[in-house]
Amino acid sequence: MSNVVVLDNGGGLIKAGHGGDRDPEVTIPNCLYRPLSSKKFLYPSPSNSEDLTSAALRRPIDRGYLINTDLQRDIWAHLFSSLLHVAPSSSSLLLTEPLFTLPSIQRATDELVFEDFNFNSLFVADSPSLVHLYEASRRPDGLVSKAQCSLVVDCGFSFTHAAPVFQNFTVNYAVKRIDLGGKALTNYLKELVSYRAINVMDETFIIDDVKEKLCFVSLDVSRDLQIARKRGKDNQLRCTYVLPDGVTYTKGFVKDPDAAQRYLTLDDGSLSQPSETEKDMVQIDDAEERKDRKRIDLTKNEFDLTNERFLVPEMIFQPADLGMNEAGLAECIVRAVNSCHPYLHSVLYESIILTGGSTLFPRFSERLQMELRPLVPDDYQVKITTQEDPILGVWRGGSLLASKNFEGMCRERPELGATPIVPKPLVASRK
Amino acid sequence: MEEERRMSTRTRKVAPKMAAALASTDNRTQAALARLEALENDNAGIEHVEIHEDDDDASLDDVYIQKKQLKGTKRKTRQAKALEDARKAPRTFLELLHEASLESLPPHVPSYLRAAVRPPSSTSRRHFCTVCGFTGGYMCVKCGMRFCSIRCQHIHDDTRCMKFVA
Repeated sequence: MSNVVVLDNGGGLIKAGHGGDRDPEVTIPNCLYRPLSSKKFLYPSPSNSEDLTSAALRRPIDRGYLINTDLQRDIWAHLFSSLLHVAPSSSSLLLTEPLFTLPSIQRATDELVFEDFNFNSLFVADSPSLVHLYEASRRPDGLVSKAQCSLVVDCGFSFTHAAPVFQNFTVNYAVKRIDLGGKALTNYLKELVSYRAINVMDETFIIDDVKEKLCFVSLDVSRDLQIARKRGKDNQLRCTYVLPDGVTYTKGFVKDPDAAQRYLTLDDGSLSQPSETEKDMVQIDDAEERKDRKRIDLTKNEFDLTNERFLVPEMIFQPADLGMNEAGLAECIVRAVNSCHPYLHSVLYESIILTGGSTLFPRFSERLQMELRPLVPDDYQVKITTQEDPILGVWRGGSLLASKNFEGMCRERPELGATPIVPKPLVASRK
Repeated sequence: MEEERRMSTRTRKVAPKMAAALASTDNRTQAALARLEALENDNAGIEHVEIHEDDDDASLDDVYIQKKQLKGTKRKTRQAKALEDARKAPRTFLELLHEASLESLPPHVPSYLRAAVRPPSSTSRRHFCTVCGFTGGYMCVKCGMRFCSIRCQHIHDDTRCMKFVA
């Protein structure tokens, strides 16, 4: 059996590796970037040692779909030859493709795989079914694998899908999509910070980092807004992020990591103190470094975040706040379930799986549970599981699929001079 | 006091899309749509940067073209070249979507368009101040953006109202 390359070609990150492995060998951003110091666009690399300040970006994927095959070819060529070290002509490819890919894009992708890279065979998978497969195999006694049915909520870089999966097939007529993902959230945060503090419109990588480190999902928006309004020490939500200066720090960082975690204690009313010993340990470890970091104050390269921290992820739950005429995530899930057969409803609500990078915001699943419960009939249970690694979940499913009986499912490379690749039907699942 | 207030002398860049939105009939919705559109941009401000920085390739191309000319092929006119470039240039997803004409599919066929989650069931919407982010109770009469206090209104008037800073 030939080598199988599993490639989860996301809009934000490419996850690539060999079928059968547990984790992908390479995870790189799916873009070319040009830092200020360079004249050429550079290939992404797994080690993030470069100075990414004000880097210009070129992404092959727009709104989740592959539109620039030339750019994707460049990135893949770099990936296969220098990072993965595989020879495409002697391997098969398992590629993820977003749901409802347009026929013209499917054709362009096939051309890219077979004509430019000359892969032996190709299998196109959609991410919800891979996530389902992985979760089912992890808990053979769980509901997901017994009922062969789950509701995969994939909140990724470009958009958010709520997709019911039944017997390893995505029920495509019931899938619902919100056009909001991590990219829009980062851009929104960029806009807010640029308007209120420092112009960071060019700093995609830095603001990505800010979003990952400081944003969280609020469980009570009006109360958190009240807190965010307070001054001084009462404001447990205020947090400072220090931008890189290119000399001492090439990476931005949160000024006071303890302060960033304080919102977690807000719920109990009483501030639960971390145990003293633990606190001491931490202090001894990096007290020096901390002092050093707190000192650079007068330079103007830092900004405070207060209500932005929870108002940005809030958009996934209430896109209407942004002026978008779309329902929020909870309603999206309800609509997806309601489009399925009534027999499936109770099972689907009980096996909601969260995946995708944007579900990594702290308290995402609690908030979803809170919003979903009132919308779901009383006699159904709502159970939400988060994948242990939401970014790699899809890839792991693909790796699992590639490790068993893979050859039979693939489409072979068409012979030279054969009839052009037939456009695949849009309706049926392409398995 | 009011007329003495100093205005910023900073020049403001207006994004091309915003300029277009301003020219259209329904300014507010157009501007709101353009703002949403901007959330999907890769790079702020400058869009569609087409830089051919590969000098080696370019010189090779030149040689190739010269060889071709020697064989007597017609030299490309500038217009033809521009047309070809436009044909080769990657098109945005929305253009491709428009070309696919998914509207013509029968209603039972699932497609990109039908997968979109519809508008929310409740029409009530929270409003946040566009200046500071807190609950914004007031609306600007000129542009329709929200603010929460006189202070924020002044900031809004000075920096944002009908200006759409790029």
